Amino acid sequence: MIYFYDGSADAFLTAFLLAYPDEDATLTSGGKQLAIGQETAFVRADPARAEAARKRLEQLDKNCMHDLDMLLRSGDHTRDMVAFNYFKLIATRGCPVRKMLAEDAVIAAEECIRRVEFEIHRFHGFLRFMESASGALYAPVSPDNDICDLLVPHFRARLPRFPFVIHDVRRKKAAVYDGENVFLAPLEHAEVALTADETAWQNLWKKYYKSVNIPSRERLKQMRGYMPVRYWKFMPEKKDG
Amino acid sequence: MISEEKLKILTESAKYDVSCSSSGSGRKNGGGMGNGYFSGCCHSFTPDGRCISLLKILLSNDCVFNCKYCMSRSDCDVPRATATPEEICELVVDFYKRNYIEGLFLSSAVHRSPDYAMEQLLLTVKKLRTEYGFYGYIHLKGIPHADERIVHEAALYADRMSYNIELPTEKSLKLLAPQKSRESVLLPMKQLQRERDLFRAEKRKGRFLPAGQTTQLIVGASPERDGQILRLAQGLYRGAGLKRVYFSSYVPVVHDALLPDRPAGELREHRLYQADWLLRFYGFSAEEIVENDGDLPLDLDPKCAWALRNMQFFPVEVNSAPAETLLRVPGIGTRSAQKILDARKYTRLGFDALKKMRVVLKRARHFITANGKFYGSGDETAVRGLLAAGEGQPVQLSLFENEAARSALTGEL
Ligand code: SF4
Repeated sequence: MIYFYDGSADAFLTAFLLAYPDEDATLTSGGKQLAIGQETAFVRADPARAEAARKRLEQLDKNCMHDLDMLLRSGDHTRDMVAFNYFKLIATRGCPVRKMLAEDAVIAAEECIRRVEFEIHRFHGFLRFMESASGALYAPVSPDNDICDLLVPHFRARLPRFPFVIHDVRRKKAAVYDGENVFLAPLEHAEVALTADETAWQNLWKKYYKSVNIPSRERLKQMRGYMPVRYWKFMPEKKDG
Repeated sequence: MISEEKLKILTESAKYDVSCSSSGSGRKNGGGMGNGYFSGCCHSFTPDGRCISLLKILLSNDCVFNCKYCMSRSDCDVPRATATPEEICELVVDFYKRNYIEGLFLSSAVHRSPDYAMEQLLLTVKKLRTEYGFYGYIHLKGIPHADERIVHEAALYADRMSYNIELPTEKSLKLLAPQKSRESVLLPMKQLQRERDLFRAEKRKGRFLPAGQTTQLIVGASPERDGQILRLAQGLYRGAGLKRVYFSSYVPVVHDALLPDRPAGELREHRLYQADWLLRFYGFSAEEIVENDGDLPLDLDPKCAWALRNMQFFPVEVNSAPAETLLRVPGIGTRSAQKILDARKYTRLGFDALKKMRVVLKRARHFITANGKFYGSGDETAVRGLLAAGEGQPVQLSLFENEAARSALTGEL
C-alpha cells in the first residue's frame, strides 16, 4: 500500500503506525506517481496517535525524534522511505540503531541527516546579510533542505543586537529574530530598503575577494566542489559571474 | 571607509600567508558582536580553491626589512599603503556583520621599526575588542624583534598568534632574511607559550590565546630536505606546543640571484601536509616517515610509502585490529576507522559491508582482510604500481582546516 502524508512529524508518526505491519508499504509526502493497481491511503495527522508513537519510540531511543526532525527536513525525494526504514529498524530491534553502520537503513538515514547538517554548517559560512536602512539584517537563502529556522541560533548568538530575517525564497518563509524573540513566518516576497553604504561594503568585499586570490594557482573545480554554484546566487562576490 | 585601492594593496601583500584557520576558539559573545566558532568556518572559496575564513590583511606593507623572497621588502618598487587602526576595525565589523568573514588575521610589515609596527597592531586589536565590542576571531602575526611587553599585551586580545619561522635553518634565514634571526622568532614564541601555560595553570579569568600559536615554513626557497622540515615541525608540536605548522610552497614574486626562479612544486607541499597529518592525527613519528636527509616520495602518499616499507605488519583484520593499527592502513582515515570500530560491535564486517559503509577500498584492500578474506594483490611491486597510478590532482591539504575537512574530502590518508 502507498501511504500519502503531508510531510509533518505528526502525520509521519500516524502513517508509521499504519504502515509498520504492512510488508509492502511505501510512504510518501511528495507527488510520486501512482503505480497502477496499488492501493493507496491518505493519512492525516492524528495528534493523539502521533503522541503515543512518539512516546513509545522515545522509550526505545531517546534521541530519535531529533533524527526524525532532520530526516523530514531533507530535500531529498527518498527521505520518507529513509525515515520509515530507519524507524522500522528501531521498532524491530527495540533499541537505538544509529551505530549499526553496516545496516542499509542506518547508512541511508545517517547520510541523509549528515547532508542536512552539513548544509546548515555551510550556510553558517555562505549566508550573506544585507543591512537595511533600519539597521535590521536581511539574508535571502535557497537551501536544498528546509533549514532556515535552524540557522537562527548561530547568528543570534553572535549578533544579539541585530534583528535579522533569514528568508527561504524557495519555500517562501522566513525565520525572524526581532532582537528578542524568534519566529517563523510565511513570506512570499520582501522589499528591503538598504542602508546607504550597503553597495560600498559589498564592493569592498568583492575587491577583497579578487585581491586575495592567487591567479597562478587556479583550481576552479575544487572551488566549485567546496562551494557549489547553486549557492552563489546570494553571494555578492559570486553573483555577477 | 578604507579605499578600494588601499584594501587591494594590503590584501595582495598578505595573501601568501597560507594560514586562514578560524578554529580553536570558543570565545563567547559578551554583548557586542561576534563569537568564536570552535571548529572554524569557511565563508567563501576563491578560484584558487582556498577558503576565506578570516579577513587576511596587513596594517602596512611599508617595510624597513629586506627579506629577499618578499615583495614588501624595502628595496622593492611596489605601491605602499598603511591603514589606520580605525579603518581596519570598521572593515572588520562591517564585513563580520554581513557574515563575509569569521574574524581578522592581521599582520604587518616592519613599518618604521619592529616596536612601532607591533604597537600599531596592538592598538588595532585592542580598539577592536574594547571600543568596537568585537568578540569574533582574531589571529595576530607577531613582528620579530619587538619589545616583549607589547607582545604580551597584544596576546591578551588575540585568539591566536603566529611568528613565521619561514626558513627551516638559521643558515637560510641569514642568507634570505638578513635582519631576522632564528632567535627573534623563537623567543617570542617561547615567551607566549610560557605565559599561556602560566595563565592556564593559575586558572585566571578571561582568555590568553585560546587558539594557541602557529607558524609557517616556506618550502622550496632554500635547500632543506623534507626530512629536516618534518623533524622541525615535530619538534614544534611536541616541544613548543604549536597548534599548527603551515607549509607554503615557494612562489617567486621577486627575482633574486639567491632565489630559485621556479615555484616549488605544489605536489611537494601536498606531501608535506599529508605527512604533517600523519604526525598530528595518525600516531606516526617523523622518523618513521622519512630519513633526515631524504625527501618524501612524490609518486606515493607518505602513508602508502610507509606501508610498503613495512609489509610485515599487513594485512590486518578489520574486525579485530585496534584503532591505532586501522589508522595505519593506507586509505583508511580517521572517519573510516571510527565507522569500522562502531559497526563491528554489532556484526562481523565483510568486504561488502565495508563497501556499503563507503570505506574507500581502492588502496586499503591490499592491506586488510575482512572476515579473514583478502581481496588485494599480494605482490609488492604490483601493489606499488596500483597505488601510484590514478592518484588524481593533489587536493590542497593546506586547506584541510577542520572547516574544510567537514566537506566530502576528509583527508583520509
Ligand atoms: S619583514 Fe621581511 S617578510 Fe616581513 S614584510 Fe618585511 S620584508 Fe617582507
